[in-house]
Amino acid sequence: MASKNSSNESEKDVKILDGTRRDFLKQSTLLTAIALTPAPLVRAAENGWDEKIAAVYEKVPLNIEVNGVKHQLSVEPRATLLDLLREQLDLTGTKKGCDHGQCGACTVHVDGHRINSCLTLGVMVSGKKITTIEGLAKGDQLHPMQEAFLKHDGFQCGYCTPGQIMSAVACIREGHANSETEIREYMSGNICRCGAYPNIVNAIQEVKDGGQTV
Amino acid sequence: MKVIAPDKDGIKRVDGRLKVTGAIRYAAEYNFPGLVYGVLVNSTVAKGTMTAINGKAAEKAPGVLAVISHLNVPEVSGYKDGKAQPGSPFYNNQVFFNGQPVVLVIANTLERAKYGASLIKITYKVEPHQTNLDSNLQNAVKTGDDYMRGIANAYQSAPVKIEVEYRTPIHVHNAMEPFAVTSVWDGDKVTLYTKSQYIKGMQQDVMKLFNLPEANVQVYSKVIGGAFGSGSPLWPYAKAALIGSKVISKPLKVVIDREQMFTMVGYRSPAVQKIGMGASADGKLIGITHDAIGETATYQRFTEGITNTTCFLYDCPNVNTTYKLANLDLSVPTYTRGPGETTGVFALESAVDELAYALNMDPLGFRLKNYAETDLEQNLPFSSKYLRECYKQGAAQFGWNKRNQKPRSVVQNGWLVGYGLSTGAYWAGRAPSTAKARLSPDGILLIQSATSDMGPGTATVMTKIASEIINIPVENIKIELGSSALPPAAGEYGSMTTSSVGSSVYDVCTELKRKFNELGGNNDDNPNYVKILQDHKLPYLEVTRQSHPDANSGKYSSHAYNVNFVEAHVHPATGMVKIVRVVSVIDGGKILNPITARSQIIGGVVWGISMALMEGGVIDHRYGKYVNSNLGEYHVATNADVPQIEVIFIDKKDPVTNPMGSKGIGEVGIVGVAAAMANAVFNATGIRVRDLPITPDKLVQV
Amino acid sequence: MKQFQYIRPSTQQSVLEAINKPGTKIIAGGTNLVDLMKRGVTAPDKLVDINHLPLKSIASTKTGLHIGALALNSVVSENSLVIEKQPLLSMALKAGASPQLRNMATVGGNMMQRTRCTYFYDITMPCNKREPGSGCGAMEGYNRMHAIFGASQQCIAVHPSDMCVGLAALDAVVVIAGRRGERRIPFTEFHRLPEDHPEMDNHLAKDELIIAVEIPDNNFAKNSYYLKVRDRQSYAFALVSVAAALDISNGVIKQARLAMGGVAHKPWRLLDAEKALIGKTVSEESFKQAALIAMQGAKAYEYNSFKLKLAPATITEALKHASGLV
Repeated sequence: MASKNSSNESEKDVKILDGTRRDFLKQSTLLTAIALTPAPLVRAAENGWDEKIAAVYEKVPLNIEVNGVKHQLSVEPRATLLDLLREQLDLTGTKKGCDHGQCGACTVHVDGHRINSCLTLGVMVSGKKITTIEGLAKGDQLHPMQEAFLKHDGFQCGYCTPGQIMSAVACIREGHANSETEIREYMSGNICRCGAYPNIVNAIQEVKDGGQTV
Repeated sequence: MKVIAPDKDGIKRVDGRLKVTGAIRYAAEYNFPGLVYGVLVNSTVAKGTMTAINGKAAEKAPGVLAVISHLNVPEVSGYKDGKAQPGSPFYNNQVFFNGQPVVLVIANTLERAKYGASLIKITYKVEPHQTNLDSNLQNAVKTGDDYMRGIANAYQSAPVKIEVEYRTPIHVHNAMEPFAVTSVWDGDKVTLYTKSQYIKGMQQDVMKLFNLPEANVQVYSKVIGGAFGSGSPLWPYAKAALIGSKVISKPLKVVIDREQMFTMVGYRSPAVQKIGMGASADGKLIGITHDAIGETATYQRFTEGITNTTCFLYDCPNVNTTYKLANLDLSVPTYTRGPGETTGVFALESAVDELAYALNMDPLGFRLKNYAETDLEQNLPFSSKYLRECYKQGAAQFGWNKRNQKPRSVVQNGWLVGYGLSTGAYWAGRAPSTAKARLSPDGILLIQSATSDMGPGTATVMTKIASEIINIPVENIKIELGSSALPPAAGEYGSMTTSSVGSSVYDVCTELKRKFNELGGNNDDNPNYVKILQDHKLPYLEVTRQSHPDANSGKYSSHAYNVNFVEAHVHPATGMVKIVRVVSVIDGGKILNPITARSQIIGGVVWGISMALMEGGVIDHRYGKYVNSNLGEYHVATNADVPQIEVIFIDKKDPVTNPMGSKGIGEVGIVGVAAAMANAVFNATGIRVRDLPITPDKLVQV
Repeated sequence: MKQFQYIRPSTQQSVLEAINKPGTKIIAGGTNLVDLMKRGVTAPDKLVDINHLPLKSIASTKTGLHIGALALNSVVSENSLVIEKQPLLSMALKAGASPQLRNMATVGGNMMQRTRCTYFYDITMPCNKREPGSGCGAMEGYNRMHAIFGASQQCIAVHPSDMCVGLAALDAVVVIAGRRGERRIPFTEFHRLPEDHPEMDNHLAKDELIIAVEIPDNNFAKNSYYLKVRDRQSYAFALVSVAAALDISNGVIKQARLAMGGVAHKPWRLLDAEKALIGKTVSEESFKQAALIAMQGAKAYEYNSFKLKLAPATITEALKHASGLV
């Protein structure tokens, strides 16, 4: 697999980006360790032997740009973009609310479009530009939508807030913020259990009416 | 030093910037080096015993570090001598409900832990289960919370009476942040990062679980992504995580998934309520009978005050209430926003509306005619009650006088239009709480208290209270909360935080200022703190105070009140309901920070919309299992379901509750709201829905 | 989720070769497949990511509108050609899911989405669709969302799509590529009824790929409406939905198209009701009569009998909107 991968991807028709774990590795229980088993086995896992072998067979290279920073990663194809951001890149601003595309807390922009990162496999955004809540402000200067959420108290617990703000920015960019009713409909993919909806609508209207570039 | 002009809207959230930038870290966001991941496997039967657990495939799966169950867990000291609470994780092979955490799989990545968990095979000896409240009403047992004044069932002999039954389903808190524990052991010391509405209480629970001294247990709950009552106990999932990380001696993160949020962290009990209510022909209440039946688990009992409000809300000479519980093979219910009252007042305020129609009276006029001037249950005066003001201001703002008494008589653009009204109340309580205040030569005031903030803005309102006493800009005030190492605070529940913790902040700041004035030798409202410290060469000045409820508080009945006016539109053919307008009027005493208070009330109303129109946990009783344990099928309100909500605060001090004169508003915001919606739907359609939620199928007509 | 192999072919031919192997699944938007994989409902050994195929175009042809299988739901719903020529499709798309999901979901993926029946999703419960022979959990269970038309003893699930209801009404054609070339089938014959094989949702062969849908030109643009009745105002599956399209001349109906969602294992076309409308004047009464005809043969279960009232009401209402009566 490594050799297939090392060739120029764009020239190859079928890109095999991963091999499933081979049977021999499955049987190689020596390399997995369970607690309550003798200490040496646990240490084997701690030393990362298992990890190194697994990396060869289970992980694929992934190049993405997140908030303007390029990352060369090695990921399991089953890792979602959401888990990749939160667990591997420590970008925990993007939230996991339901993990099934039913709440919108995980909303990020991929090449400028809002999507649910919980239903997106990391490998599928190869070569794309991701923007998360951490990438919205310019240094200390908050994005106008962040300012508006502050001003209009568009949140309480704050957990859905990053997703709401990413969605709100997209809502204006898409041209779906022309009336209260339209904003409500186009913000309905983001659940807020604290019920800050009216304040969120007010925040979006203010940014829209302010005419700032979002 | 600058004196800040009081802003009529209050101050913005002090942690707002951290929240809108995604910088604030919730419990599952402490990515310590060497962190490993735990995934819980839950029971898939409702009752029985586990006869075998096959974890071999999981153990062999890549990256799996441990598979922990009752079969292999080292002894937990808190489980010794039969002290384990029934249902404790890894305690024994008993299964009390479908969805009980029974096995923990730990691996070095989240994906691997999940996959490992999917490989666990459990064999059960299944026993017959009961999960249906409706078929167990006959088996419900008394809780002892019955009440009576005057003549029992006096409504029966009233000239005009109603006798009706209401049903409310399971409500699951479904805070947006899934429950999570990140647990780090260092020898026999443990640090726990989680969501906790009662940090000191949770610390005690952890101490008990492992038989550890207080110094060895540190609980952090710096920010909470919503809890709504579910965040107080040390739930079994959290115990499992603590045990797991101890076994493996590594920092461990366990996040429960959305489905597990339905069975592992409580819910609002469903209820069946019968109300009999009677009045004289001119609308004076004669008697109310309120019989409520809820459910609890077989392994643990939970009770709530479903009939509380019925006992004092109206001027009615004869009131009797009963409250029973059916013990079912489900997980234990817990406090859920406006616990008890939300359920009970839906029935009470629907019934009041029904009786008003039976009397052909305006429901507002009927309520005013039966306005309680004293608390007839406790036989006490009210410390403050501006409910009449709420009715008056709300009715004027809403335009209640435009309401048509005859149901199904107003049509607008093809939709039926209805107006509805409800009253609510919630006890304005307070508990002892401690805070520490320290002012340093840099002019910074640091206030510490082991309270938490699940969203309402605890730190923000504490900052506001402190700034008004100390008289320094809010930017110079730092509030530290969310740690068990801080001075012990009351729990964040029961609408008590501002009253309890706020009072301690008020007291400690008052005392701190007095000390400064004493040192400075004057009595200034705005002492020059920095100069006084410098003059006396002090590194800082610090005060710690525990505050208690006023000694006179027992002589009064103290409640926050709300009135909700609702306009609902119902599509006559398809039964779709739109809430188009809400005016929510609140008597919450003095409103300390209107910006955040308003948001809290809006949140309560939004919960009311969800409760009225869409929420309900559904269990397939053949399996004792939820069939809608996800946010796609368990519906809560979306943005499109919520109109602009007008909030009006009466904003008058209560002289007794606390030195600020406030009354807690976190719970009261939702109480009664669903009844106002149901009453509006009745006014629009002539159809009385007594079985929530009011989904289109209940209104569709041909 | 089980580990799997992930490949990203860039030609249609290599996709067709790759998918002709057991345990292989195509991924496009992933909005349903990733969900199903997370829940263990499906566990492919290999995922074939087709997002790099050039199947995204939306174009007018001599006879109609051609929409590539990988065109995003959001893009199609906002496309000016679609809005001008087939507004019903735009309306149906906008009624589905959320803006984020529509930004991910493709036309082909939308057609391939599985039922949202809770018993299908919960792998601890019986489901003939997920595990043939295990039984139907919904039949005697919580079947509020389930079928009233065309169900079998094996399965009473419904197809969840809004888009497909619109396409069924509009006489769309599905363009399918296989290793031996292309074939075209009417949209209404793409999905199937459960009969004895509920595990099969449609007639797409294992080694075939949806490459486009085509909608023939029509005169319905002025009088089209998609009405979705659901438990909340947005972001919920249909209790019942109706796609209605009318060709009206001088107050008389010349042509009618009707399809329902949320009532059957496939988008439910109402041919008899359409026939009944032809030649009728636009009136609530003729719509109600058509709705009654549409309901012939409906059969409800314990929790979904409300659909017997809701469905005809929704048909009537959708026709009123389409015709401009409201």
